[in-house]
Amino acid sequence: MPTRIPILQGTLDLLILRMLLFGKQHGQGIARAIQEQSGDELLVDHGSLYPALQRLEDRGWIAAAWGTSENNRKARFYKLTSAGRKQLVQETSDWRRLAAAVFRVLDPQ
Amino acid sequence: MKRPLDDFSAEIEAHIALEADRLQREGMSPQDALDAARRRFGSVTQSKERYYERTRRPWLEHMMQDVRYAMRQLRRSPGFAVAAVLTLALGIGANTVIFTAIDQLALHPLPFRDASTLMSIETRKSASDEAWTSRLDFDDLRRSVKSFTSLAAISPVWNVVMTGRGDGERLEALYVSSSFFPMLGVPPGTGRGFSDADDKSGAPGVVILSHEFWQRRFGGDPALLGQKLNLDSRTYTVIGILPAGFFYPGEPMAGTANVIDVWMPLAANQIYNSPRGLRFLKVIGRRAPGVSPLQANDEVRRVGAVLASQFASTNQGYEIGARSLEEQAGGQVRPMAALLLGAVGLVLAMACTSVANLLLVRAAARRREIFMRVALGASRVRLLLQLLVEGSLLAACGGVAGVALAAAGLKLLIAAAPASLIGSRAMTLDVRALAVTAAYALASAIFTSLPPAWRMIGHAEIGAKLRENAASVAGGHHRLRSALVATQVGFALALLVGAGLLLRSFARLLDVAPGFDADRVATISTQLPSSAGTPAQRTAVYRQIEARMRAVPGVQSMASVSRLPLGGMNLGSWVWIEGRTEGPGAQPGSEAEYRVATPNYFETMGIPLIAGRTFDDHDNATAGTVCVINQTMSHAYFSGQDPVGQHIKLGMNPEQQPWITIVGVVGDVHHVAIDAPPRPEVYRPYAQNPLGSPVLVMRVAGDPALMLETMSAAVRSVNPEMPAYNVFSMRELVRRSNAQRRFVVMLLGAFALAAVLLAAVGIYGVAAQFVAQRTREIGLRMALGATPQSALRLVLAAGARLILLGLAGGLLAGAALGRVAQGMLFHVSPLDPLVFAAAAGVLAVVAMLACSGPAVRATRIAPMVALREE
Repeated sequence: MPTRIPILQGTLDLLILRMLLFGKQHGQGIARAIQEQSGDELLVDHGSLYPALQRLEDRGWIAAAWGTSENNRKARFYKLTSAGRKQLVQETSDWRRLAAAVFRVLDPQ
Repeated sequence: MKRPLDDFSAEIEAHIALEADRLQREGMSPQDALDAARRRFGSVTQSKERYYERTRRPWLEHMMQDVRYAMRQLRRSPGFAVAAVLTLALGIGANTVIFTAIDQLALHPLPFRDASTLMSIETRKSASDEAWTSRLDFDDLRRSVKSFTSLAAISPVWNVVMTGRGDGERLEALYVSSSFFPMLGVPPGTGRGFSDADDKSGAPGVVILSHEFWQRRFGGDPALLGQKLNLDSRTYTVIGILPAGFFYPGEPMAGTANVIDVWMPLAANQIYNSPRGLRFLKVIGRRAPGVSPLQANDEVRRVGAVLASQFASTNQGYEIGARSLEEQAGGQVRPMAALLLGAVGLVLAMACTSVANLLLVRAAARRREIFMRVALGASRVRLLLQLLVEGSLLAACGGVAGVALAAAGLKLLIAAAPASLIGSRAMTLDVRALAVTAAYALASAIFTSLPPAWRMIGHAEIGAKLRENAASVAGGHHRLRSALVATQVGFALALLVGAGLLLRSFARLLDVAPGFDADRVATISTQLPSSAGTPAQRTAVYRQIEARMRAVPGVQSMASVSRLPLGGMNLGSWVWIEGRTEGPGAQPGSEAEYRVATPNYFETMGIPLIAGRTFDDHDNATAGTVCVINQTMSHAYFSGQDPVGQHIKLGMNPEQQPWITIVGVVGDVHHVAIDAPPRPEVYRPYAQNPLGSPVLVMRVAGDPALMLETMSAAVRSVNPEMPAYNVFSMRELVRRSNAQRRFVVMLLGAFALAAVLLAAVGIYGVAAQFVAQRTREIGLRMALGATPQSALRLVLAAGARLILLGLAGGLLAGAALGRVAQGMLFHVSPLDPLVFAAAAGVLAVVAMLACSGPAVRATRIAPMVALREE
């Protein structure tokens, strides 16, 4: 298995919010989507995924409800709240600044 | 609201089921898919990841990474790297040099095998006396003391004149017992050492030459061995040459620049058969294995006590003790050792603070990088280690460069140090010095890394939060730098105070009237030829010298005395005062320095007459014996009485001595040293006691330094066998007696200067940073109508706060350093308010000047530029 980059805590929150932007999704779906959309570079550590979901829920940025998946499995689905939507905008812009700064540091000029 | 655990487990189960479904769709069997899903869910738990991290990437790998990273960082900013390494190198190098000097001069001054088992055995009446032991006491000690495998005796430095081989040359000689060289473990380089048979009264004369004298005078001719030399008109056979570089650093050599040319057996000394009361030997011994210094001392004291009761007339009141020879030989340097080590240590502390400050500036520039690394999951320990590695790399480079600087610095130190301090020893950077250098470098690594590490912890917290306001980071940063700079100001003040105290001591010393007028006076020592045996013959030769000297243009008067002024402690003479200390078994009143002088000595030297008269030409060999005493003796022994007309006797056996009439009292002369109080002193007329080796004193018109050669030639023209040595202008002699103090003042002054410069640079940096950070604020204030003066005030006030803080701490540190310096102070209190005030004042002015550059820049901030900057 090729080494993948484990996702960091602060970043994971952002990615989860982002994955929920276009509709509700369950945990496995979120992990899968992050992995696929990062071109298999990012590895979602399940040990942190569920605590993160719990945390976001506690803060009121996402809401959860049990539902049924496409293939008729019972699953807990998460969706973005309006506070979560605002948070996503804020965190995305923070992250872009951060990333730009990282690049400047790593590759000066 | 807490979710029930069941709910959470159900969610995990759902996750695994969904994952298994997906894998099945990709073509796995249902069971395989389920296993894989479970495995995948549990495969990268944090605990497993940590375990992986710990076992697979050991600390060494991290360390190598950190070293590579630190090297890249330093390469990227060579200016910083050079500045930091150079600063540390100077600090470490200076410490290495001072340590080496103190180690070799004070702590391990004896270049002999097992030097720590060598002891000095000392006979004293009171603690302040210089220790000399009589020959008979030495013999008794040697017979009865069991704590030592061997004892050796050494005479004072003796002047002998070598004749019969061209111009007469005056040589420095030591007479030592035959046990001396074997005890020190020094084999002769060529030939043989003294045998016990050589060291007996009446044995044929034998002499061992120093390698240096052999080279200088005889071109290292090996045929010299077995040849005869004429020394003080006795014949000696050359039996050996010492190895090159041999020197004996213990007393009596300590404190003199003398290099011994020739060594003879103790028994050959003219006062070898002297009575027990004549104490003229230094005794050293090698402790037997298993005997502690304390036990050795105890035994020697017991033997001393037995001798004191057995020979009460000569030994009563005298104690004999033993102490480490290293302690004795290094004693002269020890008072200044702690002071110099402390001062140079402060310089290194300042260098470390400066580099820490530079690192902090860089840490500020790397703030984002550290945020990032924390955000990306770097552990704090990892970041701290990396900073430590960076500091260590700088310190290691500094240490290596420091050793190179130290090698050069040591040469400089040896060249600059007075001969009385270093003598003929060759100081080198040895293993101990290198070990100490390494320790200094390690300490530097830690001290330079600590402040940035402290800062980094702050960054790390902020990095973890990410949304913290950058300005407050900068604020905290500034506070830490300010604290460092305040510390620097404190250290600099302490060093300035130390240097100031010594400087003031030195000034006090220069204020001391030596008791004579040193201007336009020169001195030449000589030795009358052996043909001049009787007092009458000596007087005749002396008259001849005087006539030749008077003929030299510019010479106004010539006088002579038995001992060079400022020549150190003399062997005193016992004084018996009529009506007080008489009769059989009486104890002498006290001791006095004893000098023989010609009638015009006092006038020539400018020594004032206080009472009575000085000698005149009537006080000749046939007239009644007379003497002149100094004021100290007058006060000490005749307080409330008129000493003029009183009678005294000198010497050990008053029954055999004539009464001497005191005819006058003259002013005190600091004969021993400028910083030593004058001792009671008796002058006797030259004509009543013509000496074989007079010290000539000439008062001249003009600069005596220019006439020294002509005057020496005049002495030699009387008889080519007569040497002219110790040729000095009196000013030079005074200067030499201060040389050691001047040297320490110079060293400490250099340290203080370095410290002040480092502090000024530090303050400048902090002020500049302050202005840079507040450009926007200041610009805004100006836009709102504030005057440039208020900007100036803002910066200067910030600087002043910092400086005051540093000064307050520095006063305490200065007081501590002053205490350490106490032994070196002369008529100055370690808390001298003038020194403290002046040091603080100077530092405050320099520091405010350093602030003023950035402050002035603050007044030129254009409001609009400042506002546009962000």
